[in-house]
Amino acid sequence: MLLKIAWRNIWRSKTRSFVVILSIAMGVWALAFILSFSLGMTYSYIENAIRDQWSHLQVHHPKFSEDKLAKFYIPNAEEVLDSLSGIPEVQAVTPRTIISGMVSSSRGASGVEVVGVDPQMETAVTHLESEIVEGEYFSEKRKSEIILSRRTAEKLKVGLRNRVVVTFQNLDGTITSVAFRVVGLFSTGNMMFDEGRVFVKREALQEHLMSIENPAENPAQFIHEIAIFLHSTDELLPVKQRLQKSFQNLLVQDYRELSPDIELYESQIQLSNTIMITIFMLALIFGIVNTMLMAVLERYRELGMLMAIGMNKPRVFSMVVLETLFLGLVAAPLGLGLGWLTVFLLKDGGIDLSAFAKGMERFGLDTVVYPLLSPELYVQIAVAVFVTALLASLYPALKAIRLRPVEALQKV
Amino acid sequence: MPIIEAHGLTKTYNPDKVPVHALRGVDLTVEKGEFTAIIGPSGSGKTTLLNIIGGLDRPTEGFIKVDGTDLSTLSDNQLIDFRQKNIGFVFQSYNLIPVLNVAENTEFVMLLQKRPKAEREKRVAELLHAVGLDDKMDKRPSELSGGQQQRVAVARALAPKPSFILADEPTANLDSKSAFNLLDIMEQLNREEGITFIFSTHDSRVIERARRVISLVDGQIAKDERR
Repeated sequence: MLLKIAWRNIWRSKTRSFVVILSIAMGVWALAFILSFSLGMTYSYIENAIRDQWSHLQVHHPKFSEDKLAKFYIPNAEEVLDSLSGIPEVQAVTPRTIISGMVSSSRGASGVEVVGVDPQMETAVTHLESEIVEGEYFSEKRKSEIILSRRTAEKLKVGLRNRVVVTFQNLDGTITSVAFRVVGLFSTGNMMFDEGRVFVKREALQEHLMSIENPAENPAQFIHEIAIFLHSTDELLPVKQRLQKSFQNLLVQDYRELSPDIELYESQIQLSNTIMITIFMLALIFGIVNTMLMAVLERYRELGMLMAIGMNKPRVFSMVVLETLFLGLVAAPLGLGLGWLTVFLLKDGGIDLSAFAKGMERFGLDTVVYPLLSPELYVQIAVAVFVTALLASLYPALKAIRLRPVEALQKV
Repeated sequence: MPIIEAHGLTKTYNPDKVPVHALRGVDLTVEKGEFTAIIGPSGSGKTTLLNIIGGLDRPTEGFIKVDGTDLSTLSDNQLIDFRQKNIGFVFQSYNLIPVLNVAENTEFVMLLQKRPKAEREKRVAELLHAVGLDDKMDKRPSELSGGQQQRVAVARALAPKPSFILADEPTANLDSKSAFNLLDIMEQLNREEGITFIFSTHDSRVIERARRVISLVDGQIAKDERR
């Protein structure tokens, strides 16, 4: 009966109820849109970071992450690669030879990480080939080819087919300089990534890494990193655990461990979402309190009558709370539906923020954001509306039960 | 045992500022089955007395027992429960629940008492038949005339089988035909089912039908006449 009265009560003043429902729904829609926008940005940031930079998992020598020296290569890289080829969750792998060095031209120099890749295998794991904006990807003809980022090329004032010299320490610490010809320029949109790396063919780098004192070593074994791309991020943890168990002498890390900034970014986004939800709740609370207070004061006499004929305080309190919750219950699905529709309409075109592209690229974000609404976000918003309505109902409900029936009944 | 037993009831409003003495030492006893009208000019204390009898207000001094229970011993919440179980109210301006239909309004207090559905339905049918509204069960109060609404109010008051019905100027807003009709119904219920009615009124139509008339003047009983 309480439910019935509460439900019918909210439709007594249709215009007022519609206005408050519409205002809650618009608030929910705005919140859903903002949250879906930031989720879309987070998702694209992480996807870009996985695709361009980290992959899902990476395998290293345990000391390589502390000190990127040539000597910390993976001793049993072949065995690891063989084992990975038998794991169904693994979509692609690529071995890399990595050294810190300097790339220089006659007009400039830049400290970089020189990444030796297997051109074919790298394509299956990263977007390097598709991010070539000038020139071409590695050819099969020459060994000494290098791909620079456009930013690095500008810094060195070099163009396609120009020569650059890469200087690094080989295995026995001898400074080695090797000339490469620029065949392509890439741009990932992530300035930090672009300026920090150059790509060469793995075999070219491996050759020059070999110790002069101990030339008998097989250069093909100088693999410092094996990047693993999985079919789905959901499979990350079990694959990681399995690999770590199989190769206890190596360090298996996922993209979060490799890139603490992803975690930082996620926590910042979560924090800003929490702040937005709180602001939304506060704004909504005042609107709802105002409406419900009006509804209670308008029915002062009626509430007095209800208490006179025996409706006790907990029931009167519950009735006002229920009325407020019903307003939220009608408004929330409406707002969430609008939010879903907005996300649906933007799923192909996204929101083009190219006007702010430079700032966004600096942080590895796409210039087109595709808003996303996850089931967790729907639940989060629905809970926020419920809690807001509940909190907003308390004061009007308290006001209702504090009335004295004898006074309320005499109200005109 | 009398249903209502009041001794030395006084009620003073604004005792610290400009005191208004609404009741000045009222002694009153009402027996079961009485059909009593409390009359008097405006400001004589009728409504105040009725509010105190109904447990809606507390006296400044004196004590009141209803059905053997001293109302001063009950907390506000206990008073609400006591009213729900023991007292039926009929108000001057009907005060039905506008969002409920006639049947739902009638069964409302029984619902609060968690009476079984079958019992509620039977009682609602009986009462609405008794007040002549069995064909209006699905109507909302706004679709009824004043007289019809007041009959629903009587049915609602009677539904939980209270010890007595308190009616504050029940005919004040009714035309003559509706007022007589209502009085007929209440008189019949009193006569045939022994239900106790206490009215506050200055409506001569009610006073004529009452079998006991208590006249209040300046918060005191000036006359207590049994017919």
